[in-house]
Order: sequence, then structure tokens, then C-alpha cells
Amino acid sequence: MVAWRMGSLLAGTVLATVLLAAVPAAPTADARRRTPATTVGVGAREYRFAEYRASVPRGVVRFDLTNYGEDGHDLVVETRGGRVLGRTGKVGSGRRAVLQLHLAPGTYRLVCDLANHAALGMRTTLRVTR
Amino acid sequence: MSWTDAHVRRLFWRAGFGATPAEARAWAKRGRAATLDWVVDGPPGGARLRGPAPNIRGRRLDPVNVWGDDVLWWIDRMVRTTYPLQEKLTLIWHDHFATAQQDTPLMLAQNRTLRRGALGSFRALLGAVTRDPAMQLFLSLADSTKQAPNENYARELMELFTLGSGYTERDVREAARALTGFSSRYSTSGLVSIAYRPDQHDDGVKTLLGRRGRLGPDDVLDLVTTHRRHAPFLVTKLWSYFVATPPSAGTVRALAATYRRSGLQIKPPVRAILSHPALYANLDAPDLVKCPVVYVAGALRTTGTYVTQDYATWMLEQMGQLPFDPPSVAGWDWGPAWMSSNSMCQRFALGNYLVTWGRPRVRRGSAPATLTPSQAFQRAWSAVGEPPVSGATRATLEHLAKHFFDDLDPRWRDTAGWRGEALQGTLRHLLLTCPDSQLH
Repeated sequence: MVAWRMGSLLAGTVLATVLLAAVPAAPTADARRRTPATTVGVGAREYRFAEYRASVPRGVVRFDLTNYGEDGHDLVVETRGGRVLGRTGKVGSGRRAVLQLHLAPGTYRLVCDLANHAALGMRTTLRVTR
Repeated sequence: MSWTDAHVRRLFWRAGFGATPAEARAWAKRGRAATLDWVVDGPPGGARLRGPAPNIRGRRLDPVNVWGDDVLWWIDRMVRTTYPLQEKLTLIWHDHFATAQQDTPLMLAQNRTLRRGALGSFRALLGAVTRDPAMQLFLSLADSTKQAPNENYARELMELFTLGSGYTERDVREAARALTGFSSRYSTSGLVSIAYRPDQHDDGVKTLLGRRGRLGPDDVLDLVTTHRRHAPFLVTKLWSYFVATPPSAGTVRALAATYRRSGLQIKPPVRAILSHPALYANLDAPDLVKCPVVYVAGALRTTGTYVTQDYATWMLEQMGQLPFDPPSVAGWDWGPAWMSSNSMCQRFALGNYLVTWGRPRVRRGSAPATLTPSQAFQRAWSAVGEPPVSGATRATLEHLAKHFFDDLDPRWRDTAGWRGEALQGTLRHLLLTCPDSQLH
């Protein structure tokens, strides 16, 4: 059972006015015209990745990483030859990170390069199509 | 029992996410029995989604991959469904069978399972949840083997899902043995399957809740759901989601009898709870706190606002109820616990979004400063879906409207439309966030 004093309403009016000013502005036309990224959800835990889609069209690819594990993990995207294209940095337990890259058609390696996590199983691939 | 707009609003809020003014009037005319049938059974042909699909600044939702889109996807269902009770029960089962920290595709699959079984057989739902990959991984039932039975699922099955009490530590150990045998398989891209492997199952003799035999997973589920403590436990839990005051012993007995007679179907006791006079007590003084999900989805639905922004996800996280991420296997703490200072601040902020982006936003030229306080209140009240408002709230808001222009020279009042619109925005915001709006 909850009872509030109605007098708080007037105090609320002041707060409402303050908060109204905090509502973000509408997105700009430029932002709307920008080519949308294809998002790949990735879950990390000891010691594997779950990749929510295995292939994407070429262009801007956004990786949404969530660490469901107990240890810190990262996500590194590299070419098959081992050239690193981008990395999230270390993501703590229960935390998230976003990595956005422009990818040409081909196959890319996704690994966690912390300690020996990749050797233990945290490695997978992503196919980028034409 | 008489049947008025107020009865319809109470039922629609408790069983779903509120009533629009048109719904309240139409169902008040059609009467109590017809309304209850529609609410409980849903429309002929099943649930449909009505209105425009979510469009977030030109982007369609990608619930599997984009963080937070899973939440928006579900909120959208609550806003647009023609069968709100099904979504409410899906939310209730998400709390009852709380699962978290699992990959989004698995959580969305579990959500579909909960929705499919929301109002059917509890035994069937329990069987589906027991085999659900997200639950299996969350409570370590997957890969619990005869060599090393894991007790997590067996314990929560009895404590939280079916009985509450009346079992022993030995029952937990024996149930854990009987539930062994589910085995997971992974590829480099994630989970492939969880399958039952008889060679990993302990097929020895167990004694569980007084029954002895070579018990397997389904025997465990049969034993806990036919145990004398199960029906009172489950109907009491269901009641707590719909009515703030605890049920009497007689009510529990009657609901449990209804549940058992139906063969452990969920719909009959839910129908009995939604028909119970206690649900309609004190129509002008509601006492059940809206949980954040119901507050957000209800505010959108009753104001005719669709999902076109992504604020619901992070606001629900700040309000303390992010769907697909309950705090523990025991689910969320309900009732007044929802009303923390931070949560209330976010509820206030939601009002800002609704009067800025939603249907209740004030159009230029729509609210002259020359309206009387009563007219100004009426206009704001209509714009936010005619929510239930106490006499005290109305008096306070009309007082605010009366003095809103005190600093303005009366000669300028005719041309001060912008001040009239500011008053409308304030009144609409307060109607969406005032104490009356936090309860249902």
C-alpha cells in the first residue's frame, strides 16, 4: 500500500520542467540518411563465444558484445592472415561493449586475445558476403 | 455486482496494460460476463498485433542482435496485442521461472515458450521450462550427470516453482539424481543443442516425496505437481500478481480446488481471481503498485503511443525491471519495493518522453491560455487517455492551472498561447506520473 502526499505534486511540477529540458533532440537528417549497420550480437563466457548471426552483408558491421561470464573478455576482429582490424578492449563480467567496423567481403576471425582464452575455445569466424 | 467503466479499467490494468477510454466505455456496456470472457479467452482466432510495427528512427527492430531491441520487441507486443492477458501471464511466468545471463536467442526462445504455455496446462509448461535451454544452462541442469548430479534445478523446482515448502534436503538430492542426463553440445559459434542422453542419466532407485522407484525427469515433475502443497502454493503466487491483499484461507482452498479440478490448467484459477470481488475493492483507491514494465507498457498503450524510440530499454533498467534480466532465480521483488527514489525519478522522466514524443504531446495552437482551470484539466486528462484520477489530484491540478498565469499581465493572456501549451504539457506530465498513475 502506498500513499503519497498530494502536496508533492507541486514540487513535481518544478522537477518536470527541469526534466523536460533533458529530453534529447530529434536525430538529424544526416544521421537518418547514414547507411545502417548490420549488427552481430555476440555473447562471451568461459571459454566460448556465441555468435547470433554467422554471416552479414559487406559494409558497416556493428558487434554488440555482452560478457555473460565471470572473467573479463574482449573481442578482437582480424583477417584470416591475423591482421587486427579492431578490438573492444577488456569487458568485465556482466558488461557490454560495441565495436563498429567497415568490412569487405571475406571471412574474418573473432577471438578473445586475453591470456589463453582463444586457445581454450574463444574463437569463431564471421563471413561477410557481397 | 454492477459493471462500470471503473470496473473495466481495474480489470484491464490488472489483467493487462490498461484500458483506453473507448475500451472502458464499450466493455462497460457489454457487461461483466462478456468482458471477463474476452479478457480471459482472448479474441477468436488468437492474439494479433494491432497498429504500426516499431520503427526506431527509420530502423526496424533486430531483437536477436541489437542490445535492448529484445526489450522493445516485447514492450511492443504488450502495447499492440489484442490479448493482453497472454502477455501479462508471459511476464508473470518470466518472473516465476526467472532466468538471466543467457544468450539473447535462448532468452527469446524461452519467451516464446512461456507465451505458448501462458494459460494452458501448468504441468506442460513446467515440462517445457525444464527442457528449455536458457533455464537448463542458468540452473546447471544441462550436463548434470549421474557421476556428478547438480542440485540447483531440483532445489529451485521445489522451493520456487512448485512447492515452497514440505520437502527435505534428501528430496532435493534424489530429485537431482532423477533429473540427470541432459547434455549440451557446442560448435565454435555457440550452443547447438541440449539433448537427453540415457547413458548420462542415473537410472538407479530413488525415493522422492515418499515415492520409490527408478524415477526419471518426468516422474519428478509429476510428483511435485501432484503433491498436496503444490496447488495452494501456485494459486497463492498467482493471486499476488493480481491483488495486493493476501487471499483468505478459504479463497486459497477454493482456488486450489478449481486448479486441481481442471487438471492443473492455469486459465481456470486465473479466471476465478479476475472474477473475485477482492480485485474490484476500493475502485477509487487502487492499492497495487504498477511494476515498471506495466507502468511503461501501460502508459504507451493507454495514450495510444507506439514504440518509435528506444528509451524504454534503458529506462526500465533504471527503474529496476529490465526484461530478460531478472536479478536472481527468485525473480523481482514486487509491490512497494518498486518505488525507490531512483525508480520514481525514471518514471517521471518517462512522462517527459511521452509528452515530448508520444501521442499526448501538445500541438501548437491547441491550448490557449484563456481556458478555465476545469477546461485545461479536462483537455489534459483526455489527451492522456482519461486515466483514473482521485478528487484530490484533480483539485490539486486545477489549483495549479488556476495560478499558472498569476505572473502574467491579464491583458496579455489572449496572446499567451505558449503559456497555455506549457500548462498543458505540465498537466499531462503530472497526470502520467502522479501518485494515482503509479497504482492500479
